[in-house]
Amino acid sequence: MRQALAVEFRKIRRRKVWLIVAALIFVQLLWSLWAFRNMDARKLAQGWMHCLYQFPLLNSIMMPVIAAVVASRLCDIEHKGRAFKLLETIMLAGRLFHAKFLCGACYMLAAAFLQVEVMVVFGTVKGFQGSPPWDKLLCYLLFTTVVNLAILLFQQTLSLLFQNQMVSLTAGLIGTLAGLYLMFFPRTVERLLLWGYYGVLMLVGMDWDRETRITNYYYMPVNWAGFIVLLVMSCILYVAGRALFVRKEM
Amino acid sequence: MFFRTFRAEQMKMQHSPVWLAFFIFPILPVVMGTFNYLQNVDILQDAWYSLWTQHTLFTCYFFFPPLIGVYCSYLCRLEHLNHNWNAVMTAPVPVADLYFSKLISASMMVLLTQVWNGILFIISGKLCGLNAPIPTELAGWLLCGALGGIVICALQLCLSLFIRSFAVPVGIALIGGIGGLVAMAKGYGAWFPYSLLSVGMRANQPSGAMQCGTEQFVLVSCFYVTAGVVFAVLWLKKRDVVAG
Repeated sequence: MRQALAVEFRKIRRRKVWLIVAALIFVQLLWSLWAFRNMDARKLAQGWMHCLYQFPLLNSIMMPVIAAVVASRLCDIEHKGRAFKLLETIMLAGRLFHAKFLCGACYMLAAAFLQVEVMVVFGTVKGFQGSPPWDKLLCYLLFTTVVNLAILLFQQTLSLLFQNQMVSLTAGLIGTLAGLYLMFFPRTVERLLLWGYYGVLMLVGMDWDRETRITNYYYMPVNWAGFIVLLVMSCILYVAGRALFVRKEM
Repeated sequence: MFFRTFRAEQMKMQHSPVWLAFFIFPILPVVMGTFNYLQNVDILQDAWYSLWTQHTLFTCYFFFPPLIGVYCSYLCRLEHLNHNWNAVMTAPVPVADLYFSKLISASMMVLLTQVWNGILFIISGKLCGLNAPIPTELAGWLLCGALGGIVICALQLCLSLFIRSFAVPVGIALIGGIGGLVAMAKGYGAWFPYSLLSVGMRANQPSGAMQCGTEQFVLVSCFYVTAGVVFAVLWLKKRDVVAG
């Protein structure tokens, strides 16, 4: 498997897949700089919570597109080179699926790590009150990574099954739009779609007072039930995606 | 010659399911936006105008630009595959016609989507029980939105011409859409190509005036479309094709 993964990285060594991930993280950083530009004492006191509230919202818009782009770039090489037939004569299709997933997962994991790093550096430089809430940041890292990987699995399956990459990217965009709208719906409805889990697993809630127009953030209990449902969904996606790819005639 | 290249584009798209994406995509914000409107009808008291914001707000910034990006990438994909650029560039066809035929194809899809958006908006308003007459500005919102969409088409086609990857231009379109939101918030919406769609559609303030005058909006849009055309024609004329 290590060899198969190394081959995947060699295939994309000049494709600059990291560039689009870095660009989108950079956009998130710029967004944060803009959102946190005027901080008074009350805002600084809630800085970490504000970060942990804002990033999942940004993720729900941007991360599914990053996942779709990464998956499409990894799988499109084989479609363009008509390489599936050849590849399947030298390695098992299931192993190829797994190697491609691990390769994409490295990028998604790096993106989540970068986000947490950006949050910590940003909060320290801006002078958010208190030390970084490491337990919450760790939970954020775990939840974001698992949602990213689940979406990556979905996108990779579509990108492998359909030569036309429009199908996977359009499905990703429609899912993202649905996920964003579902954030305004009750939690039970939000759980129905993979893309809604950035909202389901949020660690911070917001209370906006319409009269005073003051926003207060508060920590919410960790939604472990939602996390387990997501894990189950990810397993199903992996098994189904792999089976569909293995059975597909190339 | 232009009509022949345009016909060729249409033939390439003949059995493509691309129209399905543009058909399904507007339904989602309409269903969910209408539901959200009905949930918050005590806050959103501007009837048709409030409903319009619920339908268009997220779509204009985050989703329509990447969807146009997908379509433009698709329009250029065939040329990027199987050494087809060699065949295309050696055909006795002016390169401007090649670009224009793709631009008109993409623009037609944007126009049809806007018509579909308008129909869905009216249906959802009636289903919500809005008794007030349909805003007369609706045609203007849709038309100006279509012009903003055509600007994005012109730029995305340029990106898809020189970026051989299908997905990268879509990611750039998303960044552009987010940049458009920031530009709007800073008051520069009328100058940034990716925010012209939301400026034209009055996504965040349908009952008020546009962020800029209509003349300025049309002029800026024409400038970006012209810039796109000039860039694409020069690129195709000067650069050697990379076929593979």
